[in-house]
Amino acid sequence: MKNYCVKDLMVPISEYATVPEEATLYESVLALEKAQEKFQQSLYSHRAVLILDKNKRVIGKLSQMDFLCALEPSDANLDQIRKFKKLGFTRKAVALQQEEYLKNSPPILDVYSKAAKLKVTDLMQRPTEGEYVGENTSLDMALHQLTAGSNLSLLVARGKDIVGVLRLADVFAAVFHAMKESESQLSDGASK
Amino acid sequence: MRELEKLFDRIIQRVNINLRELEFDVNPLVDKLIPTGQMTKFYAFYGITPHHPLNLVFKHANLSGSYFLGQVRVTNSLLYKSDIRGDELKKNGDLFQYQEFNIPVDQDEEIRIDDSFLIKTLVHNYSHDPETLETFFIRDTVSTHYANIHGSPSDGCYLGPFSTVDLTTMRDCVIGAYSYVQAGEINHLRIEPGTVWVRKPGDFNFMYRYPLDQLNNYIYFARGISPQGVFMDFVEDRKEAFQRVFSVVNIENPVTVPTSASLDRFAVIKPKTHIGENVLVAQRAFLQNSWLGRGANAQENCYIINSKLEGNNVTAHGAKIIESDLGTNVFVGFNSFLRGRPNARLTIGQDSIIMPHTIIDTRNALAIPPGHLVWGLINEPKDLVTNSMSLKAFSKIDTRICRGSMLFEGSGGSFVSAFQERIHHILEANGAFYDGNLNRGHAQRNQNISFNTIQPYPKGDKEGLYPTIIIQP
Repeated sequence: MKNYCVKDLMVPISEYATVPEEATLYESVLALEKAQEKFQQSLYSHRAVLILDKNKRVIGKLSQMDFLCALEPSDANLDQIRKFKKLGFTRKAVALQQEEYLKNSPPILDVYSKAAKLKVTDLMQRPTEGEYVGENTSLDMALHQLTAGSNLSLLVARGKDIVGVLRLADVFAAVFHAMKESESQLSDGASK
Repeated sequence: MRELEKLFDRIIQRVNINLRELEFDVNPLVDKLIPTGQMTKFYAFYGITPHHPLNLVFKHANLSGSYFLGQVRVTNSLLYKSDIRGDELKKNGDLFQYQEFNIPVDQDEEIRIDDSFLIKTLVHNYSHDPETLETFFIRDTVSTHYANIHGSPSDGCYLGPFSTVDLTTMRDCVIGAYSYVQAGEINHLRIEPGTVWVRKPGDFNFMYRYPLDQLNNYIYFARGISPQGVFMDFVEDRKEAFQRVFSVVNIENPVTVPTSASLDRFAVIKPKTHIGENVLVAQRAFLQNSWLGRGANAQENCYIINSKLEGNNVTAHGAKIIESDLGTNVFVGFNSFLRGRPNARLTIGQDSIIMPHTIIDTRNALAIPPGHLVWGLINEPKDLVTNSMSLKAFSKIDTRICRGSMLFEGSGGSFVSAFQERIHHILEANGAFYDGNLNRGHAQRNQNISFNTIQPYPKGDKEGLYPTIIIQP
């Protein structure tokens, strides 16, 4: 584990799904699908799309959750209902109230068609400071950063450029593999 | 008057600093809401009884038209036509029960108001915060027309018109118009207008939200205007009747009052009103052509018009009952507005609980069966489907339920019991169960009360400010 660094595990940005900032939500999802098809060597498929500006710099990330949230209807009332968790209600209760409120909402196909045309920049998350990690950072350090922020991935930086994505799934696989190796060494030692 | 203006600016700044995280500015809402000229017009008054400790301290404050009872300290504050009723404060030697703790009270509790601006606000009950047993504090707080601060210490808060915070300590919160909050403790929350929220963590959580477009007909408040809507029109239409009771020194009881009942001399009683045994009528209550049966009560800012209350009815602070017939033990919560029409009366069956901040405003006859829980906005009988439930059925909820804009989670049984126990306690405290010997309450204790008046500087820089006044036995 200690010997690994971030660049050993990251997915290079050239293999990741990216779209220009003018893209729509639908174009982003197509890009994700294409990247998933190309990136077959891993057990874990890509789960996000990076949004690039005119200079090919990463300005945001659209996750599967962002995509699904974009399909959710939105108005002032729903925004209030979604804040009920702050008032002590469970997620189940919030979902129940949301369902009740949406009884009269438009059919889901209309929602898809509207959402598909949305601009990706209106839906993406702009990365915060804690979501960047240097390519030469040790894997242990990157692991701390992932768990501290509950992130599903980190953007890997070389100087000012983003050169890849460190995914939780790949870190998990590496850690799990290391754990398996260490356990089998221990049990081999015990049997001798 | 310069001092008064400086004091206003000081209060607004302090409240805004507390509310900066919520990006809430109280200034546009309350600036010029009460012209300073208005604040010099009215005398303040206080009650003296043999039953309540007397310790009033006023320093650098305007108290225009406000009423005080018990132990109250007001500093650097503006109180406009507010009622600071300290007749339920804890006493030295009491034991305060909180969860598994029994905490002894070391000295008589005091209501302490600092750096606050209260407009037509009622402050009552006692601090339910186990951390501040002997001080019911209200600081850096602005509250507007007909708000209720009931057993709820407040620090850095804004309360919209007709809002109520009940048995809840609040810090840095905004409570929207006509919202009711009873949640134990809240911090840094913005409660939207028309929210009715009752929570006991780990036990139950009730929430109802008014449709804003309809609530705005009843109460609407925005920057630069006075509160508007049916509630304000209703109160303003009856304002003159109160002017008379406040301008006359000796006023005769317009109706027969039994020896076990109490009718405050600052209440308005219009003809053909019946006051039964053990009835309590508080100051600023308005009764007209109504029947109050044994043990019924009408608290501050209540209006009961052309109605019959059979007995043991709690009409909580600010509730209004018009053209209605209420069975025995019906509870009507804070600031509820129940309006039938002369040929379309509203009937509420015995033992029903009308939740705080409920509006029943009907043009068709409407009957609520006995033993029901009612909440939210009801304009016609069909609304009862989503806005009421029998207490028996509600008690059976043990997970969650959603009906229209009402969401409940937790134990329905605990929720109903908590209400029923509280209603019983209110009746007890008000003296509804007095038998001529035992169970004496406010209805009996408030009979012998004297009122004194105090006045501010009439002119100069200090115009409107009251001199430092200490009133003790």
